[in-house]
Amino acid sequence: MADSVNPAVTSSSTTAPSQAPSQPPAENSPSQTLPIRDSKTANPPAQSDKASSKPKDAPAALVTGGDGASDKPLTPAQLKAKAKAEKAARRVKEKADREGGAGAAGGSAPGASGQPRPPNTPKKDAAGGGASQKGVKGAPPRRGSGPVAQTGAAAAEPKKKKEDKSVAVFSHLYGQQRRTTVNGAAKEVHPAVLALGLQLRDYVVCGSSARCVATLLAFKRVIESYTTPLGTSLARHLTTHLGHQISYLSTCRPLAVSQGNAIRALKLAISRVDPSTPESTAKASLCDMIDNFIREKITVADQVIAGSAVEKIENGDVIVTFAGSNIVKQTLLQAHKEGKRFRVSIIDSRPLFEGKSLARTLANAGLDVQYSLVHAISHAIKDATKVFLGAHGMTSNGRLYSRVGTALVAMSAKERAGGVEVPVIVCCETVKFSDRVALDSIVVNEIADADELIPVNSPQQVTGLPDPAAFTAPPVEPKKGGKAASAASTQESTDSTRVPSPSPLAKWKDTPNLQLLNIMYDVTPAEYVDMVITEMGSLPPSAVPIVHRMSTNP
Amino acid sequence: MATTTEGTAQAGVKPFDIVATYNELLRSDPDLTMPIAAIEALVLLLTHEPSSTISETLDLLEKSTAHLKKAIPNPIGLSAGTDLFQRYLITTLQRPGQLGPAGDFKAIRTHLLSNGRLFIRRAKESREKIVAFGRGFIRDGCTVLTNGGSRAVASLLQKAADEEGGPSAVRFNVIYVLSSISKNIEEPSGEPEGMETVRALRAKGVPVSTIPESAVAYALGKADMVIVGAEGVVENGGIVSRMGTYQIGLLAKAIGKPFYCVAESHKFVRLYPLGQYDLPIEQHVIEFRSEEDIAEQNKQSADTSADRPIELPLCDSVDFTPPHLISALITDSGVLTPSAVSEELIKIWF
Repeated sequence: MADSVNPAVTSSSTTAPSQAPSQPPAENSPSQTLPIRDSKTANPPAQSDKASSKPKDAPAALVTGGDGASDKPLTPAQLKAKAKAEKAARRVKEKADREGGAGAAGGSAPGASGQPRPPNTPKKDAAGGGASQKGVKGAPPRRGSGPVAQTGAAAAEPKKKKEDKSVAVFSHLYGQQRRTTVNGAAKEVHPAVLALGLQLRDYVVCGSSARCVATLLAFKRVIESYTTPLGTSLARHLTTHLGHQISYLSTCRPLAVSQGNAIRALKLAISRVDPSTPESTAKASLCDMIDNFIREKITVADQVIAGSAVEKIENGDVIVTFAGSNIVKQTLLQAHKEGKRFRVSIIDSRPLFEGKSLARTLANAGLDVQYSLVHAISHAIKDATKVFLGAHGMTSNGRLYSRVGTALVAMSAKERAGGVEVPVIVCCETVKFSDRVALDSIVVNEIADADELIPVNSPQQVTGLPDPAAFTAPPVEPKKGGKAASAASTQESTDSTRVPSPSPLAKWKDTPNLQLLNIMYDVTPAEYVDMVITEMGSLPPSAVPIVHRMSTNP
Repeated sequence: MATTTEGTAQAGVKPFDIVATYNELLRSDPDLTMPIAAIEALVLLLTHEPSSTISETLDLLEKSTAHLKKAIPNPIGLSAGTDLFQRYLITTLQRPGQLGPAGDFKAIRTHLLSNGRLFIRRAKESREKIVAFGRGFIRDGCTVLTNGGSRAVASLLQKAADEEGGPSAVRFNVIYVLSSISKNIEEPSGEPEGMETVRALRAKGVPVSTIPESAVAYALGKADMVIVGAEGVVENGGIVSRMGTYQIGLLAKAIGKPFYCVAESHKFVRLYPLGQYDLPIEQHVIEFRSEEDIAEQNKQSADTSADRPIELPLCDSVDFTPPHLISALITDSGVLTPSAVSEELIKIWF
């Protein structure tokens, strides 16, 4: 849904300007090369204040250490010895950290947090990870805080308590506890991937295409710094090497459809590498393949899609869109540039508020924008003439898998009472097509941390305008968290400092018979979709499997 | 336009007029459909205009196509043909080997032209195939409701009537919806479109009842199925067809009768209308006028023929029948569901 690939930032050498302030410039962080979610640009003040805070900087610090090591080819024996030494050093360091209590010290030492630590040391997790994360993050609630706090709670409460809090129908989706730190990652995982994993988890890199591009760019770095071990061939070993990276990424956040397709294409390209090609040539060709993939399947595809979607916009249209899709944004901006006069009505939803950045961008560009939340859908749809939607994926039965709430918008448009039905247009790159079939949004979905649902914004904040309260509050808060980092700042204490009158949901974990569900996606039936605009032309949803088949094996 | 129709014969001397050729082709052969006439005109153009390189050929083709599309008020049907021909040319030229970009251009040209003719012949044969596929739909004792002047529908019904040579081997009735607007501009009171088919069917012993468009809902209860023709089949499986088809589709859906469309596969056009008003043509079906406007218009058109401004747009106007109203499309590549159309189109285009 919220594709925020900045088309300019698709080559590895480009630096996303929005990310720059949050990173110490000297560090060669991989995250700088990644497309960054637009909405996050609002937060840097908060982030830059805490340059030494843990989750952001730990991977960055790791990069410098890791890159140095991987640059020179070492013999396996040397590597082993080195790893052992590092491990010992880390263990000592970590002990010091634990004694110190504050997470702030941890990140500053290179390689300090890459160490596999026993998973159930809840006290330290809560103190270090929880405090610093809460501090770093600005107004929007983040997934990071949840599991940590949960672990903290789990220390005191019996484990059964946690089980109770999963919604029964979706219990199969809770299976994977999300990774909160880079701790415990396999040693094969490349620092760029380590960093990306955390960015994915924190929604810093968010949106199906953005995640796909970021993953590919990280994998390019993996390939660049890869040397085939003796006794194996590149085609065989690189696939397993990538496998480690992929499994790490999927523990941070379940892989998107587009990520899966990109990985599949990459693996296919690797397996096609002729064993007799020299390693450097093979690596160069794989990097070329990645660049081409990004260009063809996403950058150029987006331009083509925007181009043909613009043709469907006419003067006097009222375009309804849901949340913040990058391709829809591109379309609307282009239509505006071409001089079409239309109005945009953005429907947004909690807790991610992806539409805010879209609304801001469109309004800045001079478009007429109306912003409302999803409960006002019937009002917003009343004078709509077209609905444009982004996609997370399209399934083989033509259904649209997208940010939760999309189905509601599509249905309202199609079933609008007493009027001409409003065409629902989906803009989707073919890389998001999947061969899976979805009948409902229960079997396959993603569950985010329920704590995100607890309101952290003051209820007065209504529109997408930069709310002064939302942006002044965080800088105050992190300072508190940073100074008093040694104090075990649990979920309750942070909440009480942030919200003047604590939300009735704040203690939902301790409230019996209460479960919160923060589902990420839903499935829109094919009947509600009139048209899917792809880079291969405009299709009815029923043509998705054909195009998918053609684009995967040409 | 009509005065330069000799262009076909004497193109050697004067510049080739693609629009005139197209119109002439359509007039001379009543069996010719718009896309095929467009392809034939393009083949004739390539025969007459000497071009020595591939890019010159493609450029010429593109320019003439654009010119033709601009000159014809409703280019939906013909664009199916021109797109198809262009696509065919490009794929032929891209193919490696003797006829590819590396080969002798003269050989390529002759090959293209001869194949272009083959193309036309095959397209004409496609109606036979449709009849073969569609015959099974008309069963003994059923009543078919149809409209418009589709040649594909006419040949299907006629073939069903004289199957196995005998007088009406399949006994069926036809309810023919006749448009109240005459096709012929010159004599507005002339017989409506489709009368010819009605006469032919009656000659073959098929009982035909003709009804006005207003009686469709009334008559549908007596019909077992609706079979209509199409000017173009669009990407989502909907059809662009004679004005009035959409309402028949809606009524058939409401009453629960199957709604079949007969169309040759060369009528598949790369177009994706989202609704009635999203067609790439200008038609003035709905025109709001006050007494003042009418008076003004009458004054303007007093010196020319009086009725024309009202008559012209309506008789050739089309509407769009969305795919969910269509039960099946009977084409020469088989009986397709609307959603299979995009698959066919993708097969042609990629």
